[in-house]
Amino acid sequence: MSGRNEQEYLLQEAARRELAQGRIDRRDFLTRSLLTGLGLTGVGAVAKSGITPAFAADRPLTPTFYQWIQDLHPGIPAVNAKFPGINYQIAPVEGFGIERFVAEAKNKESTWDVYVGQTPFVEMSAFIKAGVIEPWDNYIPKEVIDDIIPSIRAECSVDGKLYSWPFFLDVIGTSWHSGITGKAGLPDAAPATWDEFLASSKKIVDSKAAPWGATFDAHGWRSLVPVTHSMSTKAYTPEGLFDFTSEPAIEALKLMKQIIANSNPDILLEGSSDAGVNSTTDEEAFKSQRVGLYFKYFNAPLRMAASWDDPKLLHLGPLPKFTNGEGSTVFWTTGCALFKYGQNKEKAAEYIKALTYDPQIWKDSIVGTPGVHPGQLPPYKSIYAGWDSSKPDWMPPFVGLVRSQLDRAKAIDNNIFGLQQFVIGKPIWETYLKGEEPDPKVAMTKVMEAVQAEIKKG
Amino acid sequence: MAQVIANDEVELGARVSGGPAEVIRKGMSEWLFLVPALVFFIGYQVWPIIRVLWLSFTNFQLLSDKPSQWVGVDNYAQALHDPLMWASLWRAALFTMMFLPGTIILPLLLAILVDRVANQRLATVYRVILLIPAVIPSTLVFVLWKWMYNYQSGPINHLLVDTFGLFTLQNAPQWLGGTALTLPAIAIMEVWWGLGYHTIFFIAGLAAIPKDMPDAARIDGANEWQVFWHVTRPQLAPIMMILVVLRFGSAMAVIDEYLIFGGFNRASPTYTWTIFMYDQAFKTGLWRQGYAASIGMIGAIAMMFVMAALLWIFRPKG
Repeated sequence: MSGRNEQEYLLQEAARRELAQGRIDRRDFLTRSLLTGLGLTGVGAVAKSGITPAFAADRPLTPTFYQWIQDLHPGIPAVNAKFPGINYQIAPVEGFGIERFVAEAKNKESTWDVYVGQTPFVEMSAFIKAGVIEPWDNYIPKEVIDDIIPSIRAECSVDGKLYSWPFFLDVIGTSWHSGITGKAGLPDAAPATWDEFLASSKKIVDSKAAPWGATFDAHGWRSLVPVTHSMSTKAYTPEGLFDFTSEPAIEALKLMKQIIANSNPDILLEGSSDAGVNSTTDEEAFKSQRVGLYFKYFNAPLRMAASWDDPKLLHLGPLPKFTNGEGSTVFWTTGCALFKYGQNKEKAAEYIKALTYDPQIWKDSIVGTPGVHPGQLPPYKSIYAGWDSSKPDWMPPFVGLVRSQLDRAKAIDNNIFGLQQFVIGKPIWETYLKGEEPDPKVAMTKVMEAVQAEIKKG
Repeated sequence: MAQVIANDEVELGARVSGGPAEVIRKGMSEWLFLVPALVFFIGYQVWPIIRVLWLSFTNFQLLSDKPSQWVGVDNYAQALHDPLMWASLWRAALFTMMFLPGTIILPLLLAILVDRVANQRLATVYRVILLIPAVIPSTLVFVLWKWMYNYQSGPINHLLVDTFGLFTLQNAPQWLGGTALTLPAIAIMEVWWGLGYHTIFFIAGLAAIPKDMPDAARIDGANEWQVFWHVTRPQLAPIMMILVVLRFGSAMAVIDEYLIFGGFNRASPTYTWTIFMYDQAFKTGLWRQGYAASIGMIGAIAMMFVMAALLWIFRPKG
């Protein structure tokens, strides 16, 4: 067992790469190694000694990115090239861990200027509470703020101030392996209703077109929430928590149990990276071409299908709805947070504007590049308007589909327990999914009680 | 012997001849060489423990802007009444019970086998092979075993399902992700990873046993098992004690593997007291570090009691 954790290893490797590429000198490398090796205790000690502030005083623009963003978007270096001297880094945030940022803010300092990787409902509330970030309002051009799609702007704002400059948009929708659905004799179209979805899933298994009919990511914000929204988006408490005991949520849970009957057996298990939230079992099942139907944010099936013999067999569509349901879904953005104690704030705004409006990044994301196909979309009205008025020949149909879904989609409300409520609740609602608890309402009531008990602790 | 004692007496006489002040002066210069190590030890080992102990008596929450307050033993009372505290401690103990025999039995057996190899070059080759896992970086070990245990495409399930037909795709073992197999799966990975390292310990211990002792036992009619049990094992007891105590501590304190293979699902067998502590300190609510500190102290104290028991059990006898 090594005492060195994965975060420190990633930081060290990132520093080594930058040294090899000549982007930092040996002094910087040694300083970062010291900070990395000493961990949080070291950050505090070194900061008090004045080394970090001294380096921050005249440092270049220093953005830091969640690793997966660099992996999925190869166009970022081209944008970086337009900002000579930029000190581009990878963030120590495995498993949505933001403790390094919080620890530095408590010492009134920040190694970085801007963090690209913030998901509002996940960590934005914690960032604001701890005084880690400040709003972009003083730095973001007015035309950019006005250009953000309203529902996205609402997602990224607290008390009217924009705390997350949105970058990548993810929407939960349906995808299917058209080779499998064709073999099962199903039409090549997204099921319009959940009843159709269930029937198609069963037919795939009965016809032996694939071992499993359908799959989904069992984490609540990726399955329970979108299915709930497909019935109704009125499933939140006045405090901004998900109302697990609402009728839409209970119906969603019952539906999930029906889907599981024809799903991969490991569907409820945790993933194998990022503290269980990524490299999930649904992705493995879809990647192995053993399941026909899938619902998740589109970048998941796009990434998994990239390894198929024929990736064109992947088709995308909107999430099904309950009969008489609202037909909504869930969306979230991955955005950029401005560190309160960072430097170069005007420059950071300039950089993020260049990044988020870069046409090559969007083309690569939508069409894909060799090896990656994230399928994430932009947050700006003008970009879609431009595509509408002059449709590029590379534009696939799913972009228009996602854009139209966005008008009906709802983001998860921001709350300090925005993500944690689902982490706390998952093992409890799963007692119903596994058959240990026969009544979904009882299971969901226990979820609410457990979440409230945690909230009371502060 | 008499000459050695006499020499020591002369040396002692020379030492004290300058009086107590001289003794102190000479001792001070030796202590000065220890200062850098002491500063590092106190600053980075002792001080954090004292600070965490202090934190455990407060209601400190890292995300909160309210000043923390002294709450006495409230955190400890809350933790001791929390079923998750006991469940998470038990899970860590379970993993340790699975892992510890793997640090003794298999390495000892391998050490005895390698020690019996007459050809020294071949013995060296065996030692090198055994040590290969120990030099692989931790992240690569995790990547390797994640692939090995992959339900869909891992080689273990491929052998079990496709090659030997022992399972189907529906009932193949689910090694990771929080199933009942997850802890044994991680234990197997850890045993494999440390096999060479632990074996070398025993090889060194076997080399230190005088050859005439087992030979004498064989002459007296002892069979190989009796030679091992009555001659070899007692001689290896100090090494076993070191390994058991050290590995007990590191097994109980595992966190990286559980974060990677299990996450923060509270019903998962990998949600041990270290994950519980981390969850409270850096994930849940306003990051209740006072409460997390009390969880850590309770876990540490429990471990100290068990370590003391292990030291007593494995103490050199006679």
